[in-house]
Amino acid sequence: MTPGWLLFIAAAGLVAGIFAAFRAPRVWLTATLIGAVAALAAAIWILASGGIWDWQATFALGGERVHLRLDGVSAFFLALLALLGCAGSLYAQEYWTDKAHPVSAPSGRAWWNALLVNLGLVLLCANGLHFLIAWEIFTVCAYFLVTQDRHRREVRAAGWLYLAASHAAALCLFAFFASIAARVGTWELGPMRERAELAPLFWLALFGFGLKAGMFPLHIWLPSAHANAPSHVSAILSGVTIKIGIYGLVRFTGWLPVPDAAGWVVLTLGVASAVLGVAFALGQHDLKRLLAYHSVENIGIILIGLGFAMVAAAHGNVAWGQLALAGGLLHVWNHGLFKALLFLGAGSVLHGTGTREMSSLGGLWRAMPWTAGLFALGAAAISGLPPLNGFVSEWLVFLGLFDAVSAHGPAAWAAIPAAVLLGVTGALALACFVKVCGVVFLGLPRSDAVERAHECGWRMRLPMLVLAAACVAIGLAPALFWPAVETACATWQPAWAASGPPAPLLKLGAFHIAVAALATLVAVVLWRRVKINGLSRTVTWDCGYAAPAPRMQYTAGSFAGIITGWFAWILRPERHSHPPQGPFPAHASLEEHTPETVLERVVEPAGLVVMRLSTAVRRLQHGRLQAYILYLLIGLAALALLALMGGAK
Amino acid sequence: MTAALEMLLRLVAWLVLAPLIPGIINKVKAWVAGRRGPPVLQLYYDLAKLWRKGVVLSTAVSPGHVAGPAVAWVALVFAALLLPAGPAGAPLAFRGDALLFVYLLALARFCTAIAALDTGSAFEGMGAAREVSYAVLCEAAIITALLALSLQTGSVSLTTMLAPAAGAGAALLAAGLFVVLLAENCRVPFDDPNTHLELTMIHEVMVLDHSGPPLAVILHGAALKLLLFSMLLVEAVLPLGELSPLSATGALAGAVLSVAVGIGLVESLLARVAFRRVPLLLTTAFLLCLFALLIVWKGGHL
Repeated sequence: MTPGWLLFIAAAGLVAGIFAAFRAPRVWLTATLIGAVAALAAAIWILASGGIWDWQATFALGGERVHLRLDGVSAFFLALLALLGCAGSLYAQEYWTDKAHPVSAPSGRAWWNALLVNLGLVLLCANGLHFLIAWEIFTVCAYFLVTQDRHRREVRAAGWLYLAASHAAALCLFAFFASIAARVGTWELGPMRERAELAPLFWLALFGFGLKAGMFPLHIWLPSAHANAPSHVSAILSGVTIKIGIYGLVRFTGWLPVPDAAGWVVLTLGVASAVLGVAFALGQHDLKRLLAYHSVENIGIILIGLGFAMVAAAHGNVAWGQLALAGGLLHVWNHGLFKALLFLGAGSVLHGTGTREMSSLGGLWRAMPWTAGLFALGAAAISGLPPLNGFVSEWLVFLGLFDAVSAHGPAAWAAIPAAVLLGVTGALALACFVKVCGVVFLGLPRSDAVERAHECGWRMRLPMLVLAAACVAIGLAPALFWPAVETACATWQPAWAASGPPAPLLKLGAFHIAVAALATLVAVVLWRRVKINGLSRTVTWDCGYAAPAPRMQYTAGSFAGIITGWFAWILRPERHSHPPQGPFPAHASLEEHTPETVLERVVEPAGLVVMRLSTAVRRLQHGRLQAYILYLLIGLAALALLALMGGAK
Repeated sequence: MTAALEMLLRLVAWLVLAPLIPGIINKVKAWVAGRRGPPVLQLYYDLAKLWRKGVVLSTAVSPGHVAGPAVAWVALVFAALLLPAGPAGAPLAFRGDALLFVYLLALARFCTAIAALDTGSAFEGMGAAREVSYAVLCEAAIITALLALSLQTGSVSLTTMLAPAAGAGAALLAAGLFVVLLAENCRVPFDDPNTHLELTMIHEVMVLDHSGPPLAVILHGAALKLLLFSMLLVEAVLPLGELSPLSATGALAGAVLSVAVGIGLVESLLARVAFRRVPLLLTTAFLLCLFALLIVWKGGHL
């Protein structure tokens, strides 16, 4: 079977799923899984062979011939889409059941398949017009998926914000593709690096795709949308749809010429997204909102890689550019895998306890051992710790940055702060995920919600297991996945087709395996020793207090307090404090909340100014006929004056 | 076969020598205070005793609690295998191992902090929060130091990076790395290993609820980490890779010994700084490393 047939099966399966979604959930699941697996197979085919699948239809849509193309870059993203599509479909069966959600569950399944199809089409379309159509449809599908729980007010608000922001992005992309079409004379897309006049259009693409990717400061829509969507939807939004923004940037920086400043701007935005994304994450109390901010951080890491690759391409420095790009692209996969795993884990917590508020969770490992273990694995992976996958991609980016510094060129001045801040980002992410794991899964229950908690069933557990296995596999055997990254890199910049991995991935993999094996061995030996020596249990030592209570545990806010204090200049935390007063204090409280600084301090005030201006302009239009006649007369008089003055010349 | 045997021997040397350093520091502190102090080998006796002792676990902890110290120790052991021992080089060396070294330390930190939060104790949470927060600044300083060494040698492998002397910026780099050493190993002025007040501790408070063999592993890991940082500091500054094997070994041993004495003197003569001053001190360390980096940068063109 060729990739074409596989893609046909994928499309057939997913479209059949849309029709089966309402009446036959089992048929829907089967069809969707078959479709997604076929798409995965097609992507692997292309990535393994390094070829291109190109198909031109005999029919036209909107006056343009349908033209689909699957090459290294699009196959790289398609593989991620297919895997997360599989995981999310299975997960949704148990997470968002027909019983609990009789209306939104069936329609959600249909929107889900429509989303998958259109995301795939965005990756495949080699025609600007069709790209835009698929882009618009997937944006709308994602809106309906985000607002599945629409009787809640904050969900509707999040949906509107997402829709408005996405359309600002779509507007830019309309301008982008229309300008290309106007200058080139066709909607067909393909490599056109030699047409220097297209370079300024990059800024339109950066805004449009960057907003979709959720880079700072265009991330305003992301936290609320990802936090309020059902968890399998959050997983695909965070894992794939924001990566479609990255796909757009990778695709069109590869195909089109870019301005000289482009690489520098992208990497600056990347560094800002990475550091500030994780800083905002530290200030969050809502589990899913916290994870959403980590998407901003990881998009930043990807953009650092892409930005340096663009700088390298502009300066002709192959070696470190390829490393940075490979790191960035591999991080696309890695982030997709562990972030989806974490969102599915968070969904399991929400499903089991009914709350996302970290301050009312704690000690969940007792009721949910699987979720706790898998979430901890995802947390270690996202913190970039060896021997897991997050480290491999950050390591490649780091190597690129170090080589750029050693190369002593102009890029070194950017590589030094980028490397230091990438290290800082890693340490901050570690702090944040220690906080999450500790507060949510360890310690003692902080509320009744935890007492009622229950572990998720196998249909929610299996997708998490698959994603965790993928994280471990990339960590332990990175060399196995290198050909895929290399194919994508070589598609982006044909001059960069390397003979082998530029970094000792085999040695790193062997090292990771050794670490994992010895860690397991030592843990077992230590546990046996503990058993032999004798084990007794007592309450936690709390400085001599007789009755440690769950309320005395360290809170998420206090844990992050030191770091959020350092970032108070941008986080602007709001504190509501009633300190204890008098010799017999009756009531005391402290509440801290981190607002969406960019949204509340920049976008909303700007929106208010626009509203005021438009209200002022609306005074001219109040429905009184006399006034309109007056406007007409004034207009006529002005025209007459103009004509008279023109005639005098 | 011989390679494997050599690696094993070196590993044993690392593991056996590590507990010496805290003993030397304590001896120095005792001398300065006019006491006789515990024997230099005290930590060995403690470890042997703890390994045989029974364990008391908190009722709150998860089954993974004992795995925390185990994984942290393994991470430190592998970090030790990446660090060259003078002229002999490192048992394991490849391009990019410098970054792996930094992230193995992060893995150890992750496991220790997670195990601390596992007990549900407010004090251990406090300690874990401090540990992971200050580590952010330490990480910036270490990465900067590595950038300086990498820029100087054109390599990202510790064996090559640490072979020559750090050049004109050596003094700055040494000062910066010494401050990082004190912070990462929770010594005065960041933390007081002798304190008995849980509220003011960082590292010691995180391990309050460990006992018996797991505590032995933690203590040994802490000694190993101290030796790691001392070696890193010494090898970054001294041109050990350019000396003859015998003199390099002598220089390495002497320099590590003097670092230990230096730590002892710092602990005897300085008081702990207030927590709000810790970031300032660590930022200073970062700036010292940054200036070392800039000196290397200029040195390349002068």
